[in-house]
Amino acid sequence: MLSSMLVSGLITGTFYALMALGLTMIFGVLRIVNFAHGEFYMIGGFAYVLLYHSLGVPIVAALPAAVVAGAALGWVVERLLIRPVYAEMGARQQGRDEYAIIVTFALSILLIAAMTKIVGPWSLQGPRLIDGPPLLIAGIRVSPHQLAALGIALFFLLGTLYLLNYSLWGRQIRAVAQNRSAAAVMGVDVGKVSTIVFATAGGLAALAGALLSNMISPSPDVGAFPAIKSYVIIVLGGLGSPLGALIGGLLLGVIENLGAIYISFSYRDTYGLVLLVVILLVRPNGLFGEMRREV
Amino acid sequence: MAARVSSLRRPAAPTSRTQLAIALLMLAALAPLPTLGLEIYWQGVVITSLYYAMLATNWNLLAGYTGLFSLAPAGFAMLGAYVTALLWTYAGVSPLIGIPSGAIVCAVVGLIIGILTLRLSGPYLALTTLALAEILRVIALNSFDITRGEIGLEVPALFSHQSSYYYMFIVAVGCLLIGLHWLLGKPCGLYLRAIRNDETGARARGVRTVFWKVFAFTISSGFCGLAGALFAHYVIIVSPSIGHLLVTGLVMSMVVLGGMGTLLGPLVGALLVNVSSEYLRAAGDYQHIVFPIIVIVFARFCREGLVGRIAMMFNARAGVNAARGSRTTEVLASS
Repeated sequence: MLSSMLVSGLITGTFYALMALGLTMIFGVLRIVNFAHGEFYMIGGFAYVLLYHSLGVPIVAALPAAVVAGAALGWVVERLLIRPVYAEMGARQQGRDEYAIIVTFALSILLIAAMTKIVGPWSLQGPRLIDGPPLLIAGIRVSPHQLAALGIALFFLLGTLYLLNYSLWGRQIRAVAQNRSAAAVMGVDVGKVSTIVFATAGGLAALAGALLSNMISPSPDVGAFPAIKSYVIIVLGGLGSPLGALIGGLLLGVIENLGAIYISFSYRDTYGLVLLVVILLVRPNGLFGEMRREV
Repeated sequence: MAARVSSLRRPAAPTSRTQLAIALLMLAALAPLPTLGLEIYWQGVVITSLYYAMLATNWNLLAGYTGLFSLAPAGFAMLGAYVTALLWTYAGVSPLIGIPSGAIVCAVVGLIIGILTLRLSGPYLALTTLALAEILRVIALNSFDITRGEIGLEVPALFSHQSSYYYMFIVAVGCLLIGLHWLLGKPCGLYLRAIRNDETGARARGVRTVFWKVFAFTISSGFCGLAGALFAHYVIIVSPSIGHLLVTGLVMSMVVLGGMGTLLGPLVGALLVNVSSEYLRAAGDYQHIVFPIIVIVFARFCREGLVGRIAMMFNARAGVNAARGSRTTEVLASS
């Protein structure tokens, strides 16, 4: 029982990490929190479900299309709305935070309301990736769909972390996160890097939404809780730390699952807040966060 | 570039007495409407606007004057409403005690959240208040045995006539604005605005920034709870929908539209948003689409809001006159 709950916690945690990774990358590069992150997740879920059900697109094509939809939305949002943030970069932190919070929060409400107008307030269940009877692996029952979703999520999660650490783009992203003006001086196109980070984050969140659409049917406001959990995770892991997002995501998944058996199932969404309060009390910079120095 | 720099500046006199006077005149103009035959329905719209104006004024104290971003004004209103509703349902406590208790509970929760998050620099307050607001709402929804979930708890009415609520909310908003004006005129008001403009600089000049940030968040949370508790006894039913994030979105759009950091802005914004919501709702529930777009446009191109823009125009004219005056004195001096 315990081991199976641990494993299912790690599975949930993988999807949380997928969302939190994008969020923490955005924070690392732009120093803002994207309050519309849950809506990227929602768009991914709906793109997948609607392409499959309404247009009859096969799953193999619908899943990448959902990722592309999320990435495209991220790209557009960055280009149209987040660009002005750079103008105030460094000059005046207050104006930047103010603008970013107001605009991303308003965007989140706008996307929820627009989606409710377009598809209605109902939830639509997504198709399985693979059909088949549940498998027994080491005494734990998993459906082939869950295994496939987990595999894809892990592939993208580890792939993004690998690219972040070893590719040229990844190095540029980390350079901008460390010191924006120094990176610009060294010839990194900071605007382009920010756009790529936003698009990647949108794509990852949309992927999570599409992969989970069979277990959690997408509705216009489905993104609220995944988003809140990723906020908890990025604080837990340390704002701007990709490794922290991964570890934090797995940790939150396990804690929620253990809490669901040992404390109460119906309140499992609230454990994140308790965890958040504990981190803020004990280790406000998060597990992998660095002390921010102020000049 | 020059335009961008100037758009960052705040209007010169945010707490001006003129704005308070205009706000009180507006409230005074609203007051006799029920006796002049304002329909019950539109009385309700004004009451709701005034409730929102209370939330928006408190959000403005944080966002506009102190530079703090809370995403839980609706969450605190819901908490305040539930405190008075639960006290009435399970202990038979009169609303006269229940309403202040709601405000006090919210202030205490605000104090705790404030102490936890405001020691740190970064977006911790916004993240924590968002999580708090949504999780409180889920607890209220799921604890069916205690809160009856979505059905909500019934609470007693305070008055038998709607117009009494109308006057009560007018008085409440008036007191809130007078109190805010008084507070901002004190040294504390200067500290808050110093924190908003340059927190590091304010700390370097000896302002206890953490203390004043926690102070602002605590009183703002308390008054949001008070507004929620008062509103609960007007709608007579307390349900989790009071604390929906859409409500926070509306509060934000009122302040951004009216003008952040202006005393009059939230009231003007609340009336504009609520009255136009009535028409947008009739046209097919477009309010949650239209207002976020307005917010984004204002945040991008007109961050001082309507009242701030008008105040700037007046200030600019005054500036021109002052410049003309100084040139005259120069001419006089040289002759």
